[in-house]
Amino acid sequence: MSSRIDHHHLPINGQILPQPCSHLVDFRSRNGANPFRALQDCLRVKPPGGHASIRREPNEVPRCGMCGESGGLTRLYACVACAAVHCHAPPGTSHAAVHGESMSPGHEIAVDVDRAELFCCACRDQVYDRDFDAAVVLAQTAASTLHAPSSIVRSPHPENLRKRRRVDYRPWTPDPRERVLMGSCSSPLNATVLDSCSRDFPAGLRGLNNLGNTCFMNSVLQALLHTPPLRNYFLSDRHNRYYCQKKSTVVNNGSKSNAGNPTDSRICLACDMDAMFSAVFSGDRTPYSPAKFLYSWWQHAANLASYEQQDAHEFFISMLDGIHEKVEKDRRKTQSQGNGDCCVAHRVFSGILRSDVMCMACGFTSTTYDPCVDISLDLEPNQGGSAKMVSTKSNHSCNGEADHMNLSQNCGTSTLMGCLDRFTRPERLGSEQKFFCQQCQVRQESLKQMSIRKLPLVSCFHIKRFEHSSIRKMSRKVDRYLQFPFSLDMAPYLSSSILRSRFGNRYFPFDGDEPDASNKLSSEFELFAVVTHTGKLDAGHYVTYLRLSNQWYKCDDAWVTEVNESIVRAAQGYMMFYVQKVLYYKASEKRVVP
Amino acid sequence: MRASVNRPPTPDVGDTQEKQPTLEEIINIKFIESGEKERLMELLRERLIECGWKDEMKALCRAFVKKKGRNNVTVDDLVHLITPKGRASIPDSIKAELLQRIRTFLVSAAL
Repeated sequence: MSSRIDHHHLPINGQILPQPCSHLVDFRSRNGANPFRALQDCLRVKPPGGHASIRREPNEVPRCGMCGESGGLTRLYACVACAAVHCHAPPGTSHAAVHGESMSPGHEIAVDVDRAELFCCACRDQVYDRDFDAAVVLAQTAASTLHAPSSIVRSPHPENLRKRRRVDYRPWTPDPRERVLMGSCSSPLNATVLDSCSRDFPAGLRGLNNLGNTCFMNSVLQALLHTPPLRNYFLSDRHNRYYCQKKSTVVNNGSKSNAGNPTDSRICLACDMDAMFSAVFSGDRTPYSPAKFLYSWWQHAANLASYEQQDAHEFFISMLDGIHEKVEKDRRKTQSQGNGDCCVAHRVFSGILRSDVMCMACGFTSTTYDPCVDISLDLEPNQGGSAKMVSTKSNHSCNGEADHMNLSQNCGTSTLMGCLDRFTRPERLGSEQKFFCQQCQVRQESLKQMSIRKLPLVSCFHIKRFEHSSIRKMSRKVDRYLQFPFSLDMAPYLSSSILRSRFGNRYFPFDGDEPDASNKLSSEFELFAVVTHTGKLDAGHYVTYLRLSNQWYKCDDAWVTEVNESIVRAAQGYMMFYVQKVLYYKASEKRVVP
Repeated sequence: MRASVNRPPTPDVGDTQEKQPTLEEIINIKFIESGEKERLMELLRERLIECGWKDEMKALCRAFVKKKGRNNVTVDDLVHLITPKGRASIPDSIKAELLQRIRTFLVSAAL
């Protein structure tokens, strides 16, 4: 990079900046290297990570120097040359423009005091300057990192903090320095093993031995081993088990005083995951025994440590917890789980649910946000006859998502979308669970509605197939068939859509309207793993179906076989794993060697 | 006499300081000093995003820029275009929520 660049003609992110107006060019040439120096001290970022504004004093109330207007209905601009503040109310008066004309030349450029954006009073339009924008972004990031602890009080909304920029996928090739590093620090994979096995199966497909009723663990591990963001994390050495163990022994030696349980601090499920990823992607296809992992997990979840059958979903939650806890312990920081930036488990799986409870008497709504690592869904109650269900099964196997609406309504087939509709529909809280309304100051009947505030990278849906009846004092398993699509659009279940439909906006189909591209993309999901359960409540078997390069594989403990997708569609899903479509690289997973 | 018949009085520094601030101005200042205004603005921003209002306005602006060509549009044009539609399409529930918050604040500030 050259040290000094021409500011206005360089493309940024593929966009060419518009030509600056003559007044801005004039202003820059008159004021030397840093024309906005004086403004930098006036930049205020109110809620950390929030919007930038311009104030000389933190609590200043800016007013128009001519009419005293304090910016209720108009915009206020501060002249960058003399700091005089004036109003600008487009079709009507513009004291800012008057100021620019009367003091001409040199007073045309002004800054919006509430938005910290540049404006040319002569052209009557927004102008853009890289140096100025850089200063604003710097102030914003400084504020958000400085006051990070205090921001926990506010409701989390990570999607607002930074704008997403899309980057094209480029395959990585090592540069000479990296090549040397790789040669000296690693051992090549056994080429003959790799060759003999890679012909039929994609990388990483390896059976897991049953270590005594551990199919609940194997089934979930198979799904996790092929969760794209997790796989990328571990295979790119982001959690190195050798380094992690070395680090934790140093910590232990340093603080011998609290070495009450020396083994406890050394358990690291992420290290065991790392070891498992290495083993599974080594090219060796003989079934692998995750014994070390099982042992570590037993130590983490002592109440589940036995050779009995366990619930796969319980295991999933417990092991994500284990990975999360270890990171917390290492950092010794109380970071809220909600922001999802704490550990790899939460970075991949955590989303935020929004729950609105509306008082039916006065309409007061209280909103809460809860982090979640999966979504547990109730099966829809059986509506139609089972004979109908069988007859429709064959014709929707071609396309599950297009006709889900009428299917779920017309016949008895439950669909995942139907479950999600139920999950997000307004639910009347009964008279026995009245909610205390802050406005009425009494308990009132209320309406509760769930929606998804932030989608995780990987959505795990857990179907509640175990039904507990308090009357009969017994539990049973619900064996009903649930249809699930291979591609799922989560947009209808997002808070924005749910609220939009509740508020009933007056108009929206504009001509030439294109939906926001980034939102659209991240709400589309692809199915990549299904954990199925066969058998009864207390005894049964878990099997996982994996989708790699658009081919389905059945992972039944040590046995991995190729299967037809119709078998997957007919299976009784217990947990479904969907990954954001942008992360599901179909092309890159294809075999390069013919 | 400073003010002549055909010329409006020029406000000078002494004048504005003597002038009693109106009730509206006092309230405005109270809101700013307490930080409540900032919180309300943040709440409003959030609600307008959540209900899709912001996306609608964005789409309106995009369509307008597309029609006019990107070099023939000013911010003022856009503001002029979306102000009536924007004002009309804010959901009543959001207005009610903000009004409620403002009322609560005024009651607490008066005590």
